[in-house]
Amino acid sequence: MTQTETAAKKTAPKKTVVAKAKAGSDVTTASEPIKAVKPAAKKKSGQAFPFTAIVGQEEMKLSLILNIIDPRIGGVLVMGHRGTGKSTTVRALAEVLPLIERVEGDTYNRTIDQYIEGEEAKKGRKAIDSASLRTEKIPVPVVDLPLGATEDRVCGTIDIEQALTSGVKAFEPGLLAQANRGFLYIDEVNLLDDHLVDVLLDVAASGLNVVEREGISIRHPARFVLVGSGNPEEGELRPQLLDRFGLHARIITILDVAKRVDIVKRRREFDEDPDAFMKKYNREQQKLQKKIQTAKDLLPAVTMDDSVLTDIAKLCMNLGIDGHRGELTITRTAFAHAAFLGETVVTMKHVKEIAGLCLRHRLRKDPLETLDAGEKIDRELAKVLGEAEAV
Amino acid sequence: MIAFTDIVGMDLAKQALMLLAVDSELGGVVIPSAVGSGKSTLARAFADILPPSTPFVELPLNVTEDRLIGGVDLEATLATGVRVVQHGVLSKAHGGVLYVDSISLLDSSAVSHIMDAISRGEVLVEREGLSEVHPAKFMLVGTYDPTDGEVRMGLLDRIGIIVPFTAQNDYRARKKIVNIVLGTRDEEDTRDELNMLAGFIKAAREQLPHVSITDEQIRALIQTAISLGVEGNRVDIFTVRAAIASAALAQRSDVEEEDMKQAIKLVLIPRATRMPEREAESNEAPPQEEPPQQDEPESEDEEAPSDTPDAEAEEEQKETPDMIEELMMDAITMELPDNILNISLASKKKTTTGSRGEALNFKRGRFVRAQPGEMRSGKVALIPTLISAAPWQETRRRDSKMAGRPKTALLITKDDVKIKRFRDKSGTLFIFMVDASGSMALNRMRQAKGAVASLLQNAYVHRDQVALISFRGKQAQVLLPPSQSVDRAKRELDVLPTGGGTPLASALYLGWETAKQARTKGITQVMFVLITDGRGNIGLQATFDPTAEKASKEDLEKEVEALSLSIQADGVAAIVIDTQMNYLSRGEAPKLAQKLGGRYFYLPNAKAEQIVEAAMSF
Repeated sequence: MTQTETAAKKTAPKKTVVAKAKAGSDVTTASEPIKAVKPAAKKKSGQAFPFTAIVGQEEMKLSLILNIIDPRIGGVLVMGHRGTGKSTTVRALAEVLPLIERVEGDTYNRTIDQYIEGEEAKKGRKAIDSASLRTEKIPVPVVDLPLGATEDRVCGTIDIEQALTSGVKAFEPGLLAQANRGFLYIDEVNLLDDHLVDVLLDVAASGLNVVEREGISIRHPARFVLVGSGNPEEGELRPQLLDRFGLHARIITILDVAKRVDIVKRRREFDEDPDAFMKKYNREQQKLQKKIQTAKDLLPAVTMDDSVLTDIAKLCMNLGIDGHRGELTITRTAFAHAAFLGETVVTMKHVKEIAGLCLRHRLRKDPLETLDAGEKIDRELAKVLGEAEAV
Repeated sequence: MIAFTDIVGMDLAKQALMLLAVDSELGGVVIPSAVGSGKSTLARAFADILPPSTPFVELPLNVTEDRLIGGVDLEATLATGVRVVQHGVLSKAHGGVLYVDSISLLDSSAVSHIMDAISRGEVLVEREGLSEVHPAKFMLVGTYDPTDGEVRMGLLDRIGIIVPFTAQNDYRARKKIVNIVLGTRDEEDTRDELNMLAGFIKAAREQLPHVSITDEQIRALIQTAISLGVEGNRVDIFTVRAAIASAALAQRSDVEEEDMKQAIKLVLIPRATRMPEREAESNEAPPQEEPPQQDEPESEDEEAPSDTPDAEAEEEQKETPDMIEELMMDAITMELPDNILNISLASKKKTTTGSRGEALNFKRGRFVRAQPGEMRSGKVALIPTLISAAPWQETRRRDSKMAGRPKTALLITKDDVKIKRFRDKSGTLFIFMVDASGSMALNRMRQAKGAVASLLQNAYVHRDQVALISFRGKQAQVLLPPSQSVDRAKRELDVLPTGGGTPLASALYLGWETAKQARTKGITQVMFVLITDGRGNIGLQATFDPTAEKASKEDLEKEVEALSLSIQADGVAAIVIDTQMNYLSRGEAPKLAQKLGGRYFYLPNAKAEQIVEAAMSF
C-alpha cells in the first residue's frame, strides 16, 4: 500500500466519527471538550468494518447484542479458530451501540446521581445541586485494553504534567474509568499478564476502582461489560477470569463456500472504499441500533413463569454446575433474548437458544471427555424439556 | 552488500517477497530455511525492490516490551521534566518492513504484541502514564530455521505468505554465491538488474488495482482452502490477494490459472492440515517451472456468473471439483520438494530432529517488563524506577523543603519502585515419553493420557506445560508439543497409535531436543516422565536411516547410556515408571533411571493419578 492510500484510510473512519457524533449527540459539537473526545477518537482510529456486514458467526453476534441489552449478563468470552473475525466483530460493535446519558464531560461516564454521590463523598465538598449539572448523550464506550498496557494506565495515575505545571496532584483516569458503563475489550485475553488479570478480577468483583498514589486516594465506579477473545490453543484462561464471563461464544471456521466468497467480496469492497461501504450498510446499522434500543426499553416489561425457572435450575443441577451463576446468567440472558425478539414472556424456547452460551464454560473440563460441551448441554436440555412436556 | 538479484536459489522466497512488494496488504512473508541458505541475506535485500526510503526495521530477538511498543524516553524526560514519548520498534516500521531473523525464537509476549499491532495496524501505548496511538502498519518478514522450533500459529495466521521449506542449493548455485560474496561480480550488472526488477515491481503496483478476479476463481480458491483443511477465513483474503498480485506482476488484468496456483502454493499449502491423496506418479513430476498447458477449465469461468446463490452452488458442485483437484495437484507437485509437509503447520508436531538447538539459552529468565511492586518482592528495575520518579523531583523537593527535611539529590518514594518481571515464572515442562510398543501399550497410553489431562487441569496454577512423546516402530514422535492447552491436548491425543519396536534412544533424543527448544522459550525446568520397561530394541541409527542394520544389544545399551548421561548433565530431571509385570522384569528400567539420575517407580498397573503423583513428588 502506498503512503497516500494509508493516509486516506486513516482519515476516512475519522470523518464518520465526527458525522456520527453530530447525529448522536444532543449537545452537538459544542459539547466536545478535548478531554471527553479523546477516548472516542482513539476508539475509532482503526478501520471499523460495519457490524451488519459481518457474515455468519451468529453466536458471537447474538452474545454481544444481548450484553448491550442487559449489561448485567456479565460479558462475553469469544474463543475460537484464528482468522474468523473475532476482533473485527467486537470492534465493529461500537457503531451499533445505543447512547447513554452522562454528566457533561465526565471522564467516568457517570449519571447525575452517580456523579453527585461520587463528588459529595470527597472530603470538604458541599452538596451539589443536580439542576446545575448538564448532561450529554454519548455512545456506549468501547475501550480496548492492549496486552502491553501497564497497571498505571489501566487503573489511572497522577497526572504528572498537571502536577508539574500547576502543582496540583490531579488524578488521571485510566482505561477502567473510560470503560465505566461501557465495554472493556481484551483481545488475546488468555495471554493477558497475570497482574493485570488480578486487577481486573478485583475491579470486576467490586465495580469500583481504587487507586492510591503520591499520597492521594481515588475511588471511582468501574462497571463494565468484559469482552474477551482468543484462541484456546494459545493458552488457557485463568479459571477465575473464565468464571467472570457471563457468556461463552464459540467461533469456528466457516466452511460454507458461498458465505466465504461473500466474506472475501465484502472485505475487498471495504478495503477499496471504506466510506462507500459504510454508506451501503448505514441503513442496516441504524436498524439494528434501533432494534437494540427497543429491546432495552422493553426489557423491564419482560416476565417469566416460575415453571421456566424450575426447568433452568434443573438443567444446571443435572449438569453439575457449581454455584448459582449459571442459573442467574441463563435467566438474565433469556430475558434479554426475549426482549431482542420483541417478546414479553420468556419461554423455554428462549432458554434453549442461549443455554449453551451461558453454560459451556461452566462445565468441568475433561480432556478425555469425547462429548462436546455443547452436545452435553443439548442432551440435558432435551431431558429437561421432555420432562416439562410430560408433566 | 549483497543485492536482491544477486541471491542465488531461494526462488520461491524471492517470488514471495516480490508479491509482497507489489501488495503490502499481504501482510508479510515467512521464510523457513536451513541454516546458511542465505535467507536472512535475502530478507535484508528485500529493501532493494521496495520504493526508495521505505523504512526497514530489524527487530532484535531480545527486545523488551517498552522498546517494542514505545514508552517514556528517560533522558529527554529527565532533561525537560515533561514526559517525552519514545516510539517503539513497531511504529518505527510503519509504512515499511519489520524484519525478524530467527522469528521462531522470539518470545511469546513479543509475538503477542506483533500480532496485536498487525491486527490493528497501529500500536496502542497505554503505559507509564502515556496513552497514545502510534500508526504501525508494516510488512512482517520473518526468517527462521525450522530446527529451532515453530513459529506461533496465531502469528502465521496474520501473515499472508509462508514460503515452503526449500532444499539446499546445488553446486552451481553455490559457486555463484561464492563469486558474489567475494565481490568478483560486475557491480554494474547488479545495478542494472536491480533497476529492472524495481521497475517491474513499480509497474505491477500500478497494475494492481486494475486486476480483476472472477467469482468462480474466488470460489475455487476457497474450495481449495477447505479441501486442505486450512483453519480460519482470513486466509481467503490472502489467497485472493496473492493471486491478484501475481497477475499484476505479469502485467495482466485478469487472474489466470498460474496466478491461482502461485497463491495456493504460497498461501494455502503451507497451512494445510491435510493433503489430498497423491497419485504415485506425481512424485516424478518435473520439479522445474513449467507453464500450465491445460486450458480447458477456463471455459467454465467465462460463463456469466449468475447471481442467485442457489444456482451457483449447484453449478459449483457439478463443475468445479475436478478443476480444483487438478489445480491443487498441479500446485502441489509443481517444484515443491517432497518433504513439503515438513513445513506445513499441521505436521509441525512431528518436530524436526535437527542438530542445532543450543541457540540462545542465555535468554533464560529474560527480563521483559517492570511492574510496580514491593522492593523486597523482587529485583528492583532501576531504570523504570527512575523513569517513574523523574518527573516528580521538583514537586517532591518543594514538599520536602516545606516539611523541613534535609536535602537529597534524588527523592524516590515507595510508589516509584518498579520490580523486574522476568519472562514467565515458568513452571516445569513435563515431557511424557510413553512406550507405545508391545502389547501393554494401549493401557500405558491411556494412563499417560489421563496423567497429561490431570496435569493440564492444574497447569495454569503452576505455569506448567506438558508434552507427550510416544515411541514405537522405528522412531519416537512428538504427539503433543509443549502445551498448556487442554483443548489442544484433547485434539492431538485423540488417536494414539501403538505396537511395533521400541526405539528408546530415539525417544530420549527427541525429548532432549524438545527440552532444549523449550528453554529458548523461557522454560527453565524440564522433567522427563518415562513410562516404559526400559528395554529399547531399535537404535538411533534407524531413526535417520531406515535401511540401517539392526544394532547389536551392546550398541543399543551404549547409545541409551550416552544419551542418558548427557541428558542428566544438561540438568533435565527424570523419573522412570516401570510398567512391566514383575516376572518379566530384567531390571532395565531401574538402570535407565539411574543413568538419567532420576527416580524409579514400579507401578505395574500405573493409574493416571499415580503417575501424576510420582511426577509432582519429585
